[in-house]
Amino acid sequence: LSYQQHSKRAQRKDWIKLIYSSSLTPEQILSEDPSNDVVDSAKPTDDDFFTIKSEAAIGNEDHDDDRSKPTLNEEDFKEWEEEELLDSIRGLFITGSSNE
Amino acid sequence: MTSTATSSILSFSGHQYLRHRLVLSILSAKTVKIDKIRSDDKNPGLRDYEVSLLRLLERVTNGTVIEISVTGTAILLKPGIIAGGAVTHECPLSRSIGYFLEPLIMLAPFAKKPLNLTLKGITTDDQDLSADLIRTVTLPHLQLFGISEGLELRIRKRGSPPLGGGEVQFLCPIVKQAKTLNFVEPGKIKRIRGIAHAVRISPQFSNRMIEASRSVLNRYIPDIYLYSDVYKGEDSGKSPGYALSLLAESTTGAIHCAEATSKPGTAPEDIALLASRALLVEVRRGGCVDRQHQTVVLMMMVLGSEDVGKCRMGEPTPRTIQFLRDVRDTFGTSFKIVPADSSSPGTVELIYSCYGTGYVNANRSLA
Repeated sequence: LSYQQHSKRAQRKDWIKLIYSSSLTPEQILSEDPSNDVVDSAKPTDDDFFTIKSEAAIGNEDHDDDRSKPTLNEEDFKEWEEEELLDSIRGLFITGSSNE
Repeated sequence: MTSTATSSILSFSGHQYLRHRLVLSILSAKTVKIDKIRSDDKNPGLRDYEVSLLRLLERVTNGTVIEISVTGTAILLKPGIIAGGAVTHECPLSRSIGYFLEPLIMLAPFAKKPLNLTLKGITTDDQDLSADLIRTVTLPHLQLFGISEGLELRIRKRGSPPLGGGEVQFLCPIVKQAKTLNFVEPGKIKRIRGIAHAVRISPQFSNRMIEASRSVLNRYIPDIYLYSDVYKGEDSGKSPGYALSLLAESTTGAIHCAEATSKPGTAPEDIALLASRALLVEVRRGGCVDRQHQTVVLMMMVLGSEDVGKCRMGEPTPRTIQFLRDVRDTFGTSFKIVPADSSSPGTVELIYSCYGTGYVNANRSLA
């Protein structure tokens, strides 16, 4: 269900605008609600003399460095143990009827 | 992050997206400057595999000038012509050969001479496309653009991490121009293919992976062939390892792929289940091209003849989003991205279309 909700929201995105006319990072664009993420990114106040680098900037050694394969996390695939979900995509195969 | 639109020098910051930025520079013949390469990192500058990639690009091209700052946090690349020809390269063990092949695949069709590239190192890891997926999935994507005759990847030796010892040979023909793509019908999955391999370890592991994978996939279609690929002795590299690479092909030729590789303390059955479920996730995402192949397809669409190319794909990945931005800065091409009238309401399918730049391979030696 949560996947479908996410999809509906994603379906409504104005991709052209988000990609070409926004300064959101790719990750922000793909997050559930891009408008929320904009606020805390670089909002300088006058008394901020020191800026604290984010954890990611300081660097976990080469995490997510230009890799083309998604990271497979067993936890993310737990839902595929459910027969219901397995059956829900039958329609994408030639053997499944299209209205399933 | 951004650069001045379509000026003759491309400027980028950061270590991310290095490969596609170098490819864009070479294809467009525009000098690229990249600064702030891990400048805030406790270990700043380029990594060994990035330096290795620059050296490889230098050898595959002719007249390319590469300057790396003393600290390694900035580079300047003035591209020469894509020369092609016979090149052998030893890849560092920090990245698999897929890291090096992926950008080369976008450049090679536009070389002066057909590329005959031998790469040595790790053939399968969990970060980049394995030699198996490049051979069975990536290369068929090039065929969509008329790059096919003599296109081949031979896996001569396998090499698992950490010590590698693998070797592949990539043969790529040259073309005058990439054909315009019109790929909007995803079709239905008609067959599943897979390659299981286990090196320097019991060959039974391959069979165990195949059996476990079938326990998930058999319910969908009968046309499933999972092949146990055996390499022996010297040809199996220096380290033990195993993996399962899967692909699902549709009635219209759309291919979705997934892969899982051995991890210490994980049974081959679990690796196979992971690969199989990851394949189902890709299939569910729909479209004609999977996530791992978005950028190569979009790149070829940009280079296509002066006509509107169209492709149906799922939501863009973060890398694809940045790639689209960098393409616009380099070639001035923006894509139109609109929802496809999706039959299944649960997925996001989009139609990506652009007007090809009419890129002509000027390097090609006329016979």
